[in-house]
Amino acid sequence: MSGGGESQWLAPAEFEARLRRIGEERYHHRHPFNLRMHDGSLTREEIQAWVSNRYYYQTRIPIKDGMILSKATEPAFRREWVRRIHDHDGRKAGEGGLELWLSLAEAVGLSRDEVKEQRGVLPGVRRACDAYVAFVESHDLLESVAASLTELFAGDIMHVRIAAFEKHYPWVDTLGLEYFRTRTSQAPRDAAEGLHHVLSQARTRSDQERCLSALERKCEILWSLLDAIELAFARPRLSPHAQLRRDDAEAPALVVVPERAVKLNASGLEILELCDGEHNAREIAAEIRRRHSEASDPEADVHGFLDEMSRLLVVEFTR
Amino acid sequence: MSTGTASLPQAPRPMNLVAELTYRCPLRCSYCSNPLAYRDVHDGLDAGAWSRVFREAAALGVVHVGLTGGEPSTRADLAQIVAAAAEAGLYTHLVTAGMPLKEAGLAALCEAGLRSVQLSFQDSEAEPSDAVAGVTAFETKLAFAGWVRARSLALSLNFVLHRHNLPRISEMIELACRLDADRVELANTQYHGWAWLNREALLPRREQIEEAARAVARARAAGNRPEIVFVLPDYFSDRPKPCMGGWGRRTLVVAPDGRVLPCHAARSIPGLEFWSANDRSLEACWTEAPGMQAFRGESWMPEPCRSCDLRAVDFGGCRCQAYAITGDAAATDPACALAPQHDHVVAARLRTASGNPRPTARHRGEAIGPDGGERTPAGA
Repeated sequence: MSGGGESQWLAPAEFEARLRRIGEERYHHRHPFNLRMHDGSLTREEIQAWVSNRYYYQTRIPIKDGMILSKATEPAFRREWVRRIHDHDGRKAGEGGLELWLSLAEAVGLSRDEVKEQRGVLPGVRRACDAYVAFVESHDLLESVAASLTELFAGDIMHVRIAAFEKHYPWVDTLGLEYFRTRTSQAPRDAAEGLHHVLSQARTRSDQERCLSALERKCEILWSLLDAIELAFARPRLSPHAQLRRDDAEAPALVVVPERAVKLNASGLEILELCDGEHNAREIAAEIRRRHSEASDPEADVHGFLDEMSRLLVVEFTR
Repeated sequence: MSTGTASLPQAPRPMNLVAELTYRCPLRCSYCSNPLAYRDVHDGLDAGAWSRVFREAAALGVVHVGLTGGEPSTRADLAQIVAAAAEAGLYTHLVTAGMPLKEAGLAALCEAGLRSVQLSFQDSEAEPSDAVAGVTAFETKLAFAGWVRARSLALSLNFVLHRHNLPRISEMIELACRLDADRVELANTQYHGWAWLNREALLPRREQIEEAARAVARARAAGNRPEIVFVLPDYFSDRPKPCMGGWGRRTLVVAPDGRVLPCHAARSIPGLEFWSANDRSLEACWTEAPGMQAFRGESWMPEPCRSCDLRAVDFGGCRCQAYAITGDAAATDPACALAPQHDHVVAARLRTASGNPRPTARHRGEAIGPDGGERTPAGA
């Protein structure tokens, strides 16, 4: 770990190469969900879920950029960076990236208002996006800008996406793709500015390492956002390693997995019993809604529960 | 909650049984948590006796059994024991070094109802791993992991962490990914048994722990599998660990000789009377043995534990550690920053930061000089 060279400052070309390598290896262009989006194998429902969930991410971006502005002391930096907020929010109502995303939502057959209200946002998506905001909140300007460098790789993915939508998803009105088109020019420009800042302001090897970690973290956040969407369409079933026990009238139902016993309340047990490997989480939530008209948000309950059970290795997902 | 059963004086229902089938082991790890006097503790329960223990445990509420040791597969009747646990309705989990068990033996255990395996590794690569084990074992373990995977048993890997292997924590996680483990436990050394004897050689530096925590955070964020279990060691967190989830509360340990204990190290505390499953019902051993009751609940607690909001979170920490460090098993766990004798832990921590050379760890089973390790030989 402690070779003498480890602490040496990297020349800018080498530093940039390392940043770019992180993108090549970890950016979500390699995520299975994106690969399926781009090869045309997503269903209409999956496209819709992606658009409505990803809207939550879009709404976090100007908040994150506002935080970055609040950390910046240089007027020149702020002048440049504030443009991102304008790009996203527009100069007046009805303009900007967020509005364009809502047009995309309509183009894929969703209601603009429902997407705007963010009712169907998956817990895992919310957690990933909030993690990004929390990261920027708790890290300095340099690391926050470094985290934004996923834009280095965004330009390319937009071109791929536009082509894929035009080819594979003809039912999507191409006017709805305007968001992607604007990003093909905005993302490279934003990325160049961010990259310049990071290359010039990372003055020690330790600064550079912090930047590399920040970019890795951001890649992980984008990746886990897609994981969460993918999971919503996978079909959960009880893990073969789990043992469900509801035999004991005295005790609550239990699931036993290696080195852990998880207590289930009545609604947890009901959801788990619906995990048959045949139905996905949305269908299970629909069934819960049918049985319990009084339930306020069965979608969130089911996704939250399955998320937790999957973390505890109680359920697994099949495609 | 059951009421009116006078024979259960507020003893909670145990859920987990740790069945220490034997203290024999082909490995000689320097952090072994078996008693220093492990040779004096003989295998006192045959498969029939274990079968009775499992049935009684299930009746008490136990749902999961960890079959451990020593190395459980040194017992020729292991398959019978696994079958008995499965018949009793327990979730069967084998804790093994991956040897001397062979592929056919593992197949027999599957047949008998084994559900999951925890395989120990001493390090991420052969040389340092075998150095800690004191025998050549690493390659055998790799093969064993493959056999486990091929049989669709759950697989978790366990690494005990100390100053010599902490720098390779990322490689340990990578190994767990490569072996397709469901879970990897990165367990900081608990200073009992041989680990207590070797604590000066094993205690890490604070920066090592911090670097390890960052490596774990990076790996966790990178994806879902395997699940990574890593807890900050109590020597560095200034908070005691919730040892065993509380004394005599959720877990019961049955030692190779049949003694029923609240934890595997409890016999290092002198003067506590534990009963044997050979002599009495498991229920009596769990609920009524004076040693089981000694630190159950909160009434034994001194200040500052007694009035502390965290007493229901950490259950007062570890009694064996309190005894090992202070000589008083009822003292506040010195790992806690609020403990009157916390300075012992701070001093041990400071020694790790000094540049002084560390002693060499002794392997389990090596002769112990007059300086001793524990205050009294365990196994009484």
